Amino acid sequence: MITAALLGNPNVGKTTLFNLLTGSNQYVGNWAGVTIEKKEGYIGKNIKIVDLPGIYAMDTFSNEEKISKQFLINGNVNVIINIVDASELNRNLYLTLQLKQFNKPIILLLNMIDVAEHRGINIDCKKLSQMLGVTAIPISASKKIGIGKLLELLNNSDFFNAPVDNNFHFDNEKEMYSFIENILKECVSEPKSHVVTTTEKIDKIVLNKYLAYPIFFAILYIIFKFTFNWVGQPLSDLFSDFIQNIFTPFVLKLLANSDAWFKSLITEGIIGGVGAVIVFLPVILALFLGISFLEDCGYMARAAFIMDKLMRKMGLSGKAFIPLVIGFGCSVPAIMSTRTLESEKDRKLAALIVPLMSCNARLPVYVLLSSVFFPGKQMLVIFSLYLLGIASAFFIGLLFNKTIFKNKDEPFIIELPEYKMPEFKNLMLHTWRKGESFLKKMSTIIFSASIVVWLLSNFNFSGFSNIDNSLLSYIGRFISPIFKPLGYGSWQNSVAILTGIIAKEVVVGTMGVLYGQNLRGVILNYFTPASAYAFLVFVLLYTPCISTIATIRKEYGKRMMFFSVSYQVVLAWIASFAAFNIGKLL
Amino acid sequence: MSLNDLKSGESALIEHIEGDMRLVKRLMALGYISGTKVTVKGSAPLGDPIIIKVRGSEFALRRKDAKNIYVMEA
Repeated sequence: MITAALLGNPNVGKTTLFNLLTGSNQYVGNWAGVTIEKKEGYIGKNIKIVDLPGIYAMDTFSNEEKISKQFLINGNVNVIINIVDASELNRNLYLTLQLKQFNKPIILLLNMIDVAEHRGINIDCKKLSQMLGVTAIPISASKKIGIGKLLELLNNSDFFNAPVDNNFHFDNEKEMYSFIENILKECVSEPKSHVVTTTEKIDKIVLNKYLAYPIFFAILYIIFKFTFNWVGQPLSDLFSDFIQNIFTPFVLKLLANSDAWFKSLITEGIIGGVGAVIVFLPVILALFLGISFLEDCGYMARAAFIMDKLMRKMGLSGKAFIPLVIGFGCSVPAIMSTRTLESEKDRKLAALIVPLMSCNARLPVYVLLSSVFFPGKQMLVIFSLYLLGIASAFFIGLLFNKTIFKNKDEPFIIELPEYKMPEFKNLMLHTWRKGESFLKKMSTIIFSASIVVWLLSNFNFSGFSNIDNSLLSYIGRFISPIFKPLGYGSWQNSVAILTGIIAKEVVVGTMGVLYGQNLRGVILNYFTPASAYAFLVFVLLYTPCISTIATIRKEYGKRMMFFSVSYQVVLAWIASFAAFNIGKLL
Repeated sequence: MSLNDLKSGESALIEHIEGDMRLVKRLMALGYISGTKVTVKGSAPLGDPIIIKVRGSEFALRRKDAKNIYVMEA
């Protein structure tokens, strides 16, 4: 088995090449201890390619660079595949010179050679190979040019036995760059005159003083609509409709002669659990199709750029704005999308505050209580909750930035790459991989948690029971004193909050079961307007749902999961307490 | 004179860079070396960050970092 390490600067087409070479024969995981994706793929049986993170250099500070360095030293690497942008050799070859220090054979892929030629750039590959002591091949990953030559080299064992010479020694960056400039003088000819590129033309509009924000918000609006109104959510609804109205009745018919508890296990426990998982899938796929598109076409870097000044105040980069907005739809895809942020700190901080954005599932609870206790002022109440969610996110961002993430700031410098049409295959692979990892890694947790909650709400120590006498109701009675100071200490409310962990909209359903038919009338005895608002504040801020918890665990590990859940419950209690006591005064 | 003193569209030569060592190191790796030509291409709508072009690539940089990049007239 030959191990090839694939390295290159960001935005040079590394992912396109990796997808082209390995197709669906890929495995995605995490590098140990960090939230950086580790991608491995195979060409046939004998060649393993490890796609290392896109980096500019080997000697600065980032985790991405440390991982790459460690892997080149300890990973039994036989050959380095260094992909560079043929039009930007000047900057790209800096990494190449640093890769030379590892004394491995290097295949230097001059990618997007067609674009370079179109610009009148001519490269003498033979001379370049000689001067650098590498094997340079002109390729175009998107047009599939030069790939045969690469495969031929990888399959040729002589190539790996050839002695590697490394006579390069540099004292500083300046020496390296003058060396690179000398090489380019010898090997590359390019036209002097500057033509206005398409990218410059697009940026004139997209980054225009007056148009930049309207364009950004329009794009965000489209992605949000696409995910939650046009494609993702309707498909999810279709799924859950099918399960509820066709599949479940069908199964019930089959089970006509079974015991009540068994029917309940199958329909509410198992089918309910599976349904809870499956409804997320279309939403996740739709969102990541949109995000991958923005990422691949080059717009995402511009979004980070124009939002930087605002987001920086809470210690996040501009790009983190997108997961936060997606959080208004659903925390699950929003947390998954925090993984696309640049730094470890950004990813973790964003994932922690995303659940504070009021997601769709909380709306039914707002609607129920506000229509009963604040008739005529529903919109105002609901709007204030959304604002409170945003304000909490901002406050918590500020707080965590000054405390747990203190001094974790990474220097801000982002490349604004040239715009390009995204590769269809890349989009599909990336999107599908997100859905696949969701199904594989999270479904088990969500599914088993749903079953546990079903057990707790349908059984007590003497067997099958109504929810009123279930284990869950005992727990509800036990914890209800916690909610006394908040003004809603009935055990029914505690149970509703507990079942809300399955999904927030379940709060309404549980209240319906516990308070009986005349829900809207009965709850008047259990809440005052002040305590109803306090309850809504709690619902807004406490842990969104099992699926969110499972997502945090999958993307960021157990510690982050516990921290996220506990800080949210504490925050929800304090805010709810404040809301109740202020409300009483009004 | 620092990068912040250049107007949009103006160019200059890098003299030296100060500040956070990690950022200095990163900028040097990207070829921000004394004597290199740097052009300010524009700024975000709120005036910060700015876009600078060095060695054919465009990067966004915050004003607080750009003030540490000292330049001289070309």
